[in-house]
Amino acid sequence: MLIEILQQTINGLAIGGVYVLIALGLTTVFGILGIAHFAHGSVSMFGGYLTFFLVTSQGLPVLAAIPIALVAGFVLGLLIEIVAYRPVRHANHINAFIVALGLTMMVEGINLQLFGHEQIVIPTGLSKVFRLGGVTVPELRIYVIIAAIVLVAAMMLFVERTKTGQAIRAVAENRDAAILMGVNVNSIPLIVFGISTSLGVAAGIMVGALFAIAPGIGEGFVVKGFAVLILGGLGSFPGAILGGTVLGITESIAAGFISSAYKDVIAFVVMILVLLIRPQGLLGRSP
Amino acid sequence: MLALRDLRVNYGAIEVVHGISLDVAAGECVALIGANGAGKSSTLKAICGLVPVGSGSVQFEGRDITNASGHAIVRAGITMCPEGRQVFPQMSVIQNLRMGAYTRTDKDQDADLGRMMDMFPILRERQTQAAGKLSGGEQEMLAIARALMARPRICLFDEPSLGLAPKIVASVFETLAQIKAMGMTILLVEQNSMMALNLADRAYLFEAGRIVMEGPAKELKSHPDVMRAYLGH
Repeated sequence: MLIEILQQTINGLAIGGVYVLIALGLTTVFGILGIAHFAHGSVSMFGGYLTFFLVTSQGLPVLAAIPIALVAGFVLGLLIEIVAYRPVRHANHINAFIVALGLTMMVEGINLQLFGHEQIVIPTGLSKVFRLGGVTVPELRIYVIIAAIVLVAAMMLFVERTKTGQAIRAVAENRDAAILMGVNVNSIPLIVFGISTSLGVAAGIMVGALFAIAPGIGEGFVVKGFAVLILGGLGSFPGAILGGTVLGITESIAAGFISSAYKDVIAFVVMILVLLIRPQGLLGRSP
Repeated sequence: MLALRDLRVNYGAIEVVHGISLDVAAGECVALIGANGAGKSSTLKAICGLVPVGSGSVQFEGRDITNASGHAIVRAGITMCPEGRQVFPQMSVIQNLRMGAYTRTDKDQDADLGRMMDMFPILRERQTQAAGKLSGGEQEMLAIARALMARPRICLFDEPSLGLAPKIVASVFETLAQIKAMGMTILLVEQNSMMALNLADRAYLFEAGRIVMEGPAKELKSHPDVMRAYLGH
């Protein structure tokens, strides 16, 4: 029993890491621009597809393909901000909402056109399995957990320790005051979209390596990403981290002990229960 | 140093500042006084690039900065301490102060941080607390210190006494006097006309988007119209 819980917790940490990376991107975009960037999941999966393409069709080693995909994600993020969201920045929020939905469909369509409808798995060649006590841990899962921790820590350091990171926070907390500090509020959304999309692409690669990518998968992840935001507390970085980890572990334990068919149901039931007790989310501030 | 010429500011179709001209010389403390809604704050916001200038010009040290973007204006040397304090509520006191120095790249920022905390000991005490947890008076001190962290050439203060208890208002004005004594050029918007006129060298009286009187603060203070309408005598 204990071993089984431990086993599922480790599985949950890997998927939780994916949720956290997606949620961090969503929460940063939401904090700065107040938009629900629904296309984030599909864009993330594009990164997974791209890595698959670079590895299988171009023969690049995985370790070379990943940085290329991350940079491509950053550039894609800049494009999305300039082409899709910048034109509606001063318009009513419903316009950005419609743009987000349209963008989701477009990116899904592009993924389908470029990479087909077959599900793909990024070949990593990492097939070793460690056995610690009774717990089996595939080495890939360990790398995914480590990579997620490193990326989240890097993001936290960036936001807390650099001037640009602090400017991002400042714009999220008070846009006009940030202008008065000399922050260029035109370049901040660009940086935010670039970084968020890169984090999303990292998540997409993890999904492609751990599980599989297929059309529609991205939408599922973006819904989970928003669920994580609400569970953790909207606009809270630590909340997104805690929320993603909790959701991942809950899902895994539900899949291990009850049924994998019901894992989403159980995860959302847990989420609803948490929100009934703490409507502001786990780490959200009470209104 | 700062010169406005025929400045007009409008929000959509509604014009709130109807062609004003004013000057602030280096080292001077100038107050804009007048009733609520007379266009004083809109004038400051137009200088800072927070609201667009309809027509007219803003010159700073001989350069035309009319409708320049807000961040470019800060880099030119103009910093505003905004109405309602506008601290970053979830960031710590230190982080707020460091944001004040956002445009700076010199190595004296840490030293300035120390100086600000010497000037406002309460900020040192509260340095790791979230700014939103501070009292109104403490937040005002933080907003003032944050503005000074930019090492501006001119500092604009928008209603620094608004919503504060009388005792705190007095200490805010003491602080402003201290900043003035340091040689800072100040443009102050204030509804508390008496306090503003006591502090300022010169003043402009705003009425319904126009300047109706200007002169040395002492003269305005003893002018019968000003006394009757704004000083409660």
